[in-house]
Amino acid sequence: MSVRNFPTGSVVRKSVEARSSDRTARTDPLAARLADGDPLAPKVLVERHYAELYRYAFSVLREEQAAEDAVQDTFERAFGALGRYPEGRLRAMKLRPWMYRITLNVARNRLRRSREVPVEELPAADGAVGDEELEGVMDALAALGRLPERQRVAVTLRYLQDLPYAEISGATGWPEGTAKTLVRRAMTRLRKMMVVEDPEGGGPR
Amino acid sequence: MNKTNAEHGVERPIGVLRDAARRIAPAREPAVLVDGVLAGATDSFFGVESPIGAVYVAAGPDGVRYLAPAASEEEFARRYRERFGRFVSPAAADGAGDLAERIAAALAGERVEVPLDLSRSTPFQRRVLKVVGGIAHGEVRPYVWVASEAGSPGASRAVGNVMANNPVPLLVPCHRVVHNDGRTGSYAFGAGEKVRLLRTEGVSPEEISGSPYVATPTTGIVCHATCRNAKKIQPENRRSFRSVASAVQDGYRPCKVCRPVVAA
Repeated sequence: MSVRNFPTGSVVRKSVEARSSDRTARTDPLAARLADGDPLAPKVLVERHYAELYRYAFSVLREEQAAEDAVQDTFERAFGALGRYPEGRLRAMKLRPWMYRITLNVARNRLRRSREVPVEELPAADGAVGDEELEGVMDALAALGRLPERQRVAVTLRYLQDLPYAEISGATGWPEGTAKTLVRRAMTRLRKMMVVEDPEGGGPR
Repeated sequence: MNKTNAEHGVERPIGVLRDAARRIAPAREPAVLVDGVLAGATDSFFGVESPIGAVYVAAGPDGVRYLAPAASEEEFARRYRERFGRFVSPAAADGAGDLAERIAAALAGERVEVPLDLSRSTPFQRRVLKVVGGIAHGEVRPYVWVASEAGSPGASRAVGNVMANNPVPLLVPCHRVVHNDGRTGSYAFGAGEKVRLLRTEGVSPEEISGSPYVATPTTGIVCHATCRNAKKIQPENRRSFRSVASAVQDGYRPCKVCRPVVAA
């Protein structure tokens, strides 16, 4: 795992995008470009969402190759579906939460399948031993992995992916209030876990 | 994240997650990953010169799916999505090299194998397109012959429909399929274009029209007028026929190379 400059990989930029694609916002201009037959539009869609969808897939699967495969699968399904949509429907798409919806399903299904594989056949956790930054990341993901599934999804979308609640709702189909409740419960659990896990955390226990 | 806040504040998990978010990134080059996604999730397309002018070609991993002229790349991409339910991306400069060269050579009249992906066509359409793909440069065949060769004798009209919707014109030379009486007939890009194309391939539409079959008393064989055997017949021995049946009545037998259909 390494940090590279993906065209739209920056967290800062995404929060701006997130606000502009709120439920009150107009539809995604890229959807119109896809509908108009702009031959560069598919590439723009991939460049725009690859990094964030990879991050989500990695947070669930915690393995580079599995995350790459999940993102590949996501885009193949997405383009397959979008290709068959009538032009009007395509033009009105809010692509970002819709892309997330697919990735959520793909990652969940792949996680279920990987759990059916005996433990010794699972790929070894990647990253060099002693990479403290990576260990910190993997610890955080392990903590997420111990949450009930809906809480994990909600808090991951909110704080690892930086999605606004409107888009979390679009991606999961949950009402925004439900998403907020799940995030709040997840935060309570995570705080406890992180206090217990971190010997220097100096928590009350 | 504020460090103090992250260590002691209630929002510590948010800091941890945001910090993790910054560190999780794909290991491979973004350009490689993006190209990999596009190669799997979209088909590629490129422009190429053809005997009917500039055309666009779209291809999937198994071969060419669509060839058509279009006013713009956008128009081609839209029509491709309408017809095949898939998106196209511009072919990588090197990726389409071999295929583009093969197509250019094939369109220039060379005998080059171009992989075709006709998976969206029906079995009947595929059989018809395969038969038509075998009609040589400089020759024409009637609908009735194509139907017979495709294993559906009598399905001339259905063959006509397949020709009208041929996804890969020129590569499958539907312009070499003519009416049963030898008239050249219609063409997706215009009847005049069909005549012009056939002339550039050395076919004389006037000679074939009304007399699509030729026989010679020296061998007692009747052929399609453009069969390579028919071309060897001396002018003084040429006997023209409107149908194979009338030639057979006169004592000729059908050529075993071009297999003219007697029912016509």
